Amino acid sequence: MLLTTLIFLPVVFALVVAALPEEKWVRPVSFVLSLGHFAATCLLFWRFNPASSALQLVEKHAWVPTFGVNYFVGIDGISFWLVILSAFLTPLAVLGSWTAIEKKVRAFHICLFLLLSATMGTFLAVDAILFYAFFEASLIPMYLMIGVWGGSRRLYATMKFFIYTMAGSLFMLLAIIALIFMTQEQMGQMSASVLDFYNLDVPFVAGDFLNTQTLLFFAFSLAFAIKVPMFPVHTWLPDAHVEAPTPGSVILAAVMLKMGTYGFMRFVLPIFPEASEYFAWFFMLLGVVGIVYGALVAMVQPDIKKLVAYSSVSHMGYVMLGLFAMNLYGTTGGYYQMLNHGISTGALFLLVGMIYERTHTRQISEYGGLAKAAPIYTIAFLIVTFSSIAVPLTNGFIGEFLILLGTFEANRWFAGVAVLGVILGAVYMLWAVKRIFFGPRGKALGHYEEESLDINGREIAVLIPLVILIFWMGLFPSDFLNWSKASLDNLVQNRTHYELKLEE
Amino acid sequence: MEIQFKLVDFLLVSPAVALFIFSCIPLLIKVLRGNVEQNSFATLIWGYMGIIIAAGLTVATMGSNRTAFEGALVFDGLSGFTGLVLLFVAAVSLTFARDSESTNDKQFTENMFLMLNCVVGMLTMAWANDLIVVFVGLELFSLCLYMMIALSLEQRTSKEAAFKYFILGSFASALMLYGISFIYGTVGSTYLPDMISAAPNLLATNRLFLFGFVLLLVGVCFKVAIFPFHAWAPDVYQGSPTPLTSFMATAVKAVSLAFFLRLVASQAFSVERFWPFVDVLQWLAVLTILVGNVGAFRQKSLKRMMAYSSIAHSGYVLIGLIAAGIGGASMLGAGGVMFYIFSYSIMTIGAFGVLHLLETRADSDLTFEDLRGLGRDKPWLALAMTILLLSLTGIPPTLGFWGKFFIFSAAVKQGLVWLAIWGVVGSIISVYYYLRPIVAMYMEEPTAGRYTFELRPLSYFAVLFLALLTMAFGLASEPVYQAVLASVSKVF
Repeated sequence: MLLTTLIFLPVVFALVVAALPEEKWVRPVSFVLSLGHFAATCLLFWRFNPASSALQLVEKHAWVPTFGVNYFVGIDGISFWLVILSAFLTPLAVLGSWTAIEKKVRAFHICLFLLLSATMGTFLAVDAILFYAFFEASLIPMYLMIGVWGGSRRLYATMKFFIYTMAGSLFMLLAIIALIFMTQEQMGQMSASVLDFYNLDVPFVAGDFLNTQTLLFFAFSLAFAIKVPMFPVHTWLPDAHVEAPTPGSVILAAVMLKMGTYGFMRFVLPIFPEASEYFAWFFMLLGVVGIVYGALVAMVQPDIKKLVAYSSVSHMGYVMLGLFAMNLYGTTGGYYQMLNHGISTGALFLLVGMIYERTHTRQISEYGGLAKAAPIYTIAFLIVTFSSIAVPLTNGFIGEFLILLGTFEANRWFAGVAVLGVILGAVYMLWAVKRIFFGPRGKALGHYEEESLDINGREIAVLIPLVILIFWMGLFPSDFLNWSKASLDNLVQNRTHYELKLEE
Repeated sequence: MEIQFKLVDFLLVSPAVALFIFSCIPLLIKVLRGNVEQNSFATLIWGYMGIIIAAGLTVATMGSNRTAFEGALVFDGLSGFTGLVLLFVAAVSLTFARDSESTNDKQFTENMFLMLNCVVGMLTMAWANDLIVVFVGLELFSLCLYMMIALSLEQRTSKEAAFKYFILGSFASALMLYGISFIYGTVGSTYLPDMISAAPNLLATNRLFLFGFVLLLVGVCFKVAIFPFHAWAPDVYQGSPTPLTSFMATAVKAVSLAFFLRLVASQAFSVERFWPFVDVLQWLAVLTILVGNVGAFRQKSLKRMMAYSSIAHSGYVLIGLIAAGIGGASMLGAGGVMFYIFSYSIMTIGAFGVLHLLETRADSDLTFEDLRGLGRDKPWLALAMTILLLSLTGIPPTLGFWGKFFIFSAAVKQGLVWLAIWGVVGSIISVYYYLRPIVAMYMEEPTAGRYTFELRPLSYFAVLFLALLTMAFGLASEPVYQAVLASVSKVF
């Protein structure tokens, strides 16, 4: 019952928030409730067995038995950290938006809890239709978050976000339907369970585009590539990020983008092993292009938030590169980089939001000399920047190093270009840091007294867990990777005949 | 020839008889009181009683698989299920009609009479096992509809809508009758089972039968607004009073599609001679989806937008119908179609209900701008509208998602993947215009003090109930799907 509780507890919390008599209680109550949810999620550390690659804590109930659709949830090493990450970031998002969200506070927190429920469901569902349902359902709260609490171009951004994601996922729905009928042909019984999909023999013809496996592979890949987002279907991301309110950006970057890469790990690679291998070069190429392109575009952005958004495109390019390197280093690195990106980009969005609340501008050109005006803020920003550009001792280094190691093994040329991305990453981030924090005092700081711009206790409390994690994950990666190792090994080694057993 | 009617025949048609009797009671009261309109609530109660009794009788006879009146009517699962959908839709529409400025006046009694007799016609068509009976039912409900639209208090567009609907509807009926005459001439009988058993053979050998059969299909396509027979729908839907629009968009489609399903069951689609027409039907499905969605994309008026969207939904159902026709023994297509009729009826009537609740005058024609501030002023109504629109878009876990899922599944199963892909493309376009009202309700700056009036309680309750059903059946779609499969199992 633990997983079901984790999925639906936030819905209950949303109802609690809706029923609160006074709006001023919404924030504290939401914070306590989301901490409670995180605490409940931490029970997984006791209940989950890291030594096994099997699917654990499984719950299965019939939903639409005619089509073999079940309410089927379970957790393995791949979903493990993503579930924890989602639960971990929600209280921080609540705390971080304490003063940023001014109108419709109650509705905002309801959205936040519903989003948490949908993301939990997406990572825990082992039934394709159930996964699809959560995957789609997560769009609605985010759509509302951007549309109601967003910036000036929010309507355009939120519409674009919704239509892009929906467009990809509907083709995935067709592919899922096709796979369900395949289970009927090959196993005699319709099933939407991902475990049965793994056992399918999906016919593949190399060199011919119009064959079953290739088409299904691309139907799934399109849905996930848009979500990741990969170049060239990334264009919704900068708009959505720039217009979204701070907590929306945090959840979007840290959790929702991971649904895409998680989809590749859960569906695409193991169900379509031949097509994945055959087209790996294509996705690695897109990954590399995304890395360089994202970095170059980030470099010239005048808006800090847009810069961070494009840096996301670049970072997610690394993740895809690692996953499609299809060796242990690459996959492990890709997986680790998913978590790193969640922490560091989430923190960056929080930091940008904090300064924006004070100066009401995000134009880099209007800043300057912030280091003097806000020393604590500067230290935090620098630490997160180091994590983002993968300086050793921070988490980013481990992830990118493993990815490059894996890519080098798979294809030297791609590795060579990807290394270039690391340099470019340092260029755009450090250049931005230089322009924001050093140099002459900028226009945006004009009205403020010395140091009065600095962040307060609440904001420091938001950042401390993130900074701790940056170093912890950078210094002791095995503390984290040991929980996923068995599953990642299983994914890499048994890729062509992947199987996920149920734990007895 | 001696015709004998047995008592059981009259028992089987008792739902229609009950509806007719209860539709007459308020009219009789009005006449006896010297043409003075009685309390509209009392009239409504009489209508409800008729509908409830008819529904009870329908449930009692459902699945008996009997025929009545020398085989002219059949009471199988398909007719029973369609009948229940019709009665449900009628009850909701009647509620709306009582609460609407454009239909509730000193002629509400007449409106109610026409509405219930409209349902009598529809039930007749749903039960019909004979082409002539089909035609009689069709004409009965069409005539009632023309009159109801023309009775509207709204002066500017409703008369035009009624007239347009009358002319084009008559044209379609004439085509259909023409087709029926050819079928009679070649089959020698108007019994549907005779036609269905003769169809595969005659389609291959007899051009006249082919001609008649195609005309029959055209007539049905007109009623459900399949491209290129869709042009009347936006004007008529927009011009009619909203309660009637909600009734037309759901009940007329439900009964026509159910009849279409009976035609499809004739195995005609597996006859080689008919394949070119199946290809044409496939293209019509694609074009209907595109025309409906692209048309809706451009609209400002919400009613017109919903009209185009309902054209698009006809296109999705046509995919299911083709899959059912090609599938032969497979029930996936037929089940998908019936489920879609059910889900489409619930969510469409709910969405029209929301529009109806916001109309303050007889000639209101709401645009997207009119929805601004609804999220703030009427949060529950806005929530209900959001759920209904998301369901129309096909977002899980709502009813609309399962409707599309079952239709697309049937298409994929029958190898009609390209149709399913067009369905997906249409759904993607539809995201834009279904989300626009949500944008207006929650995200755009509200005009101050707009929705201060009280919502009419009965309609309000009905809309909330429909939104709840959309969610509840979305979460538990299996029972409905099983019921639907059971209902089509005897026909296919």
